[in-house]
Amino acid sequence: MFPGFKFSVASYVVSLLRPEIIRDLDLPRHGLEILPLDGTFTPMENGDYLWRVNDHGRTRREIARHSKVDAEAYEEYGKAMVEMGRFVKPILSMTPPDPTSLDPSGLFELLRIGRRFQKLRPDDKQNQVQLMTMSAVDFLDRWFETDVLKATMSASGIIGTFLGVRSPGTAYVLLHHYMGEIDGAFRSWGFARGGTGAISEAIAAAAREAGVEIRTEAPIAQIRVRGGRATGVVLESGEEIEAAVVSSSLDPRLTFLKMVGRKELPDEFVEDLERYKYRGSSGKVNLALDGLPEFTALPGSGAHLRGAISISPSVEYMERAYDDAKYGRFSRRPYMDVVIPSLTDPSVAPPGKHVMSCFVQYAPYHLKEGNWDDQREAFGDAVIDALAVHAPNIRERILHRQVLTPLDIERIFGLTEGNIFQGELTLEQLFFLRPAPGWAQYRTPIRGLYMCGSATHPGGGIMGAPGKNAAGVLLSDMKRRRA
Amino acid sequence: MSAGRRDVVIIGAGPNGLVAAGLLAKAGFRPLVLERRGIVGGTAVTEEIHPGFRCSMIAQSAGSMPPAIVRALDLRRHGFETIVPAVRMFAPAADGRAVLLHDDPAHTASGLAAFSRKDAEKFPQFHASMSKIGALLAPLLSTTPPDIDRPGAGDVLRFLKLGKAFRGLPKRDAWRLLRWGPMAVADFAAEWFESEPLRAVIAGRGIAGAFAGPWSAGTTAHLLLAAAADPHSGGPDGFVRGGMGRFSESLAAAARAAGAEVRTGAEVASIRVQNGAAAGVVLAGGEEIEAGAVVSSADPKSTFLRLVDPGEQDPDFLANMTNYRSTGTVAMVHFALSGLPEFRALAGEDARAALSGRIHIGTEIDELERAFDAAKYGDFSPRPYCEATIPSLTDPTLAPSGSHVMSVRAQYAPYTLKKGTWTDRRDEFARAVVQVISEHAPKFAGSILATRVLTPRDLEETYGLAGGHIFHGEHSLDQLFTMRPLLGWARYRTPIAGLYLCGSGTHPGGGIPGASGANASREIARDLKRAPRRR
Repeated sequence: MFPGFKFSVASYVVSLLRPEIIRDLDLPRHGLEILPLDGTFTPMENGDYLWRVNDHGRTRREIARHSKVDAEAYEEYGKAMVEMGRFVKPILSMTPPDPTSLDPSGLFELLRIGRRFQKLRPDDKQNQVQLMTMSAVDFLDRWFETDVLKATMSASGIIGTFLGVRSPGTAYVLLHHYMGEIDGAFRSWGFARGGTGAISEAIAAAAREAGVEIRTEAPIAQIRVRGGRATGVVLESGEEIEAAVVSSSLDPRLTFLKMVGRKELPDEFVEDLERYKYRGSSGKVNLALDGLPEFTALPGSGAHLRGAISISPSVEYMERAYDDAKYGRFSRRPYMDVVIPSLTDPSVAPPGKHVMSCFVQYAPYHLKEGNWDDQREAFGDAVIDALAVHAPNIRERILHRQVLTPLDIERIFGLTEGNIFQGELTLEQLFFLRPAPGWAQYRTPIRGLYMCGSATHPGGGIMGAPGKNAAGVLLSDMKRRRA
Repeated sequence: MSAGRRDVVIIGAGPNGLVAAGLLAKAGFRPLVLERRGIVGGTAVTEEIHPGFRCSMIAQSAGSMPPAIVRALDLRRHGFETIVPAVRMFAPAADGRAVLLHDDPAHTASGLAAFSRKDAEKFPQFHASMSKIGALLAPLLSTTPPDIDRPGAGDVLRFLKLGKAFRGLPKRDAWRLLRWGPMAVADFAAEWFESEPLRAVIAGRGIAGAFAGPWSAGTTAHLLLAAAADPHSGGPDGFVRGGMGRFSESLAAAARAAGAEVRTGAEVASIRVQNGAAAGVVLAGGEEIEAGAVVSSADPKSTFLRLVDPGEQDPDFLANMTNYRSTGTVAMVHFALSGLPEFRALAGEDARAALSGRIHIGTEIDELERAFDAAKYGDFSPRPYCEATIPSLTDPTLAPSGSHVMSVRAQYAPYTLKKGTWTDRRDEFARAVVQVISEHAPKFAGSILATRVLTPRDLEETYGLAGGHIFHGEHSLDQLFTMRPLLGWARYRTPIAGLYLCGSGTHPGGGIPGASGANASREIARDLKRAPRRR
């Protein structure tokens, strides 16, 4: 990208890779090493800051500096979220039932969830329901009074969505991010040594060892369908590969509308896919730095720079960032989640130099005026301006800047409309509705064609889970066919 | 003065309190209804806003009252008379045209063709889909939400019945229902239609009275709830001759005829609790009334945070009640007019018919959303979303001949303002309402004889709505059905034995007059008949 600097171009932290997947694939043996990311530092507009770390006692004292009540509540909140996480976890690894089908087994699955729900303590029941329906801020309002604490915590409710912190439904995404666990510890995030790419390489190594062949530089142009059954794929090079089963980890627009073709599909399915909402809303800015930025709120290059730096100074700031996007503009003052991986893993930058990755929201894929190719640098400037509010020396430190708009994310990574989760995580697109009503069980209207990407349950951001669930369905179908 | 012990005391003579009274009286009890104000009706009242000009102050229509209640109380005999306007909705567009929703969907569709062929073709499907889903959901309105913890045989039976009805829907509609509930009404409207003025009208029904904009998730649930009460694609009908006050008077008359007593000017200051059970009420004048059961039609927050001693309550329940969301966003602005407003979109047409239903002011989804944005930051909308009615068109008794009254529900007017107070800024808000109406009816301001504004503060102080919320609390997904007002307390009973809720803060919620009262009365009658009378 820039000589001597290594970026995790798109994603930047590892958090949500399911521990059972790490275990099943024995990823540490294949070179995966996760370096913990300690804490979140949130500079405020009044020159103060909020700095939460993994050390419970310290975080408690820090929150107490803002509000004693909130320090108490923080404990309770953590416990409640763990309970919620426990309730939701088995749901993430199940194949969603079809509630409209007459098949009693689907109904039974739903009843089982219902029964587990019944067994929750009354408070947890209430939390669970509110978590599923409320906005992140409304939900956090029930616990906390400190604005900056609510603002920075609510941020994880909107990552990858086209929703604001006050939009109902965002509380659930809050939990989605809480599911992130490394070695069993809830709510801990980390970097992969060598960048996020190292994760993929570890998974690939594990897959190869198990007998998988992986070909890169092999873009697929078409999925072959004959008589309603998938028979193989055609590469862009023209090469044809026959297959008994094709499983697509791409989003449904690419899989069906581009590679299969409308005429092979039922009209209603096409209608549902066209309605499926992507609405990418985030961008990424990667910076190569000559030295570390200095934050006015807490000068120096202390440990606060080693964790996440969250530009989420107030609830109003967050919500106004969303308002811009709602009307088709990028946020003039965006929310950002910033990390400096070179502090933890010096291998990614030359000595004394640093890389800084900014996840930026909102950058709506559909701009009302202009297009992303024209707006890219203006967007990059807005990001730097918003950073400079808190770290004025950032401008002098920048050696190189790489701006990724949602359009770039679409072009580079094949994510439709630049949505990092392959489709919004809103209630009407989750569980048995993901990606389309009646097609949430990894199967598709084309026999022998499966979906295994983030556009299937449980959705993006929980790395590997859709693939694992899909593999289960696929295996059982193949066994049945053989039998 | 009635002394001594009553079997049931009902707090508040709004539609829900009166329906509960009427039905409990019919079930053999002798309820006493206590109303703080000098008139019955609660939010369903007709008052004079200017000499000779009267109008419905908050609720504008009784069209969504479940017909079973109208029959059970024989309201028609007690003077309840509805007026069904020829046009259900008139919505002027920015370009001088207008969307008209008629009673007949085919008629609506033919008019929509001017905006979009596609929309004209889709409208009958939309109408049919709403009717089907409305019919499926309607029985839920008169159902007591199931007991989540210990579902009884009845609950299971009802659940299975509902499940059967759900599975009986065409698969497409079944999926729609599941998908739509949590959706933003803006997405819902866009799923059906492409023309912006029509989308805005449809979205209006999802945000009416809500602290939410059309882009807020869950607003479609609000629309579906309204559709369950009146599935008509054009929104509810049923204006009341004489205004909503007449409707309430008919309810009071029916309740009295059945054996209930209704006292006005009797403000309940507190609910007395003894040994964890409701023992009666104390009036503001000091009078004490003992009761076997106390039923509050006041909103949940007023009931538990104001009328019941916190020392008598479970702290967790109180904490959850404090978090119950009931921040009002509606102001009512009433105008006495020297003549009928002249809308540009109706130049040269029979304006009287077009304006006889509801008038939607808000030409685009984004316009409605921008109106909401202001409220999020604690200010009222500089360009409010308005729904107006001119009831004097169909009911000339409300205004002197040739003049009119116009009532506007204006959003968003948040209960708490960041700058200034509602007392200072009342007129400023009224001017904003006049401004947006004038964009469509330029001479409107010149016809105003008098203006009467009810801010959310007024709604709280005069009409007793805590937080000024016209529905006694948000119709958000987490505050509906088994969660209204709180999860575990949706069956009209409360943690205090003998204390019941029967207002809009219980299932099915606001805007459906009498439904909560009827459901509550059923549960109360069951309890009172089962339990041996205390003392």
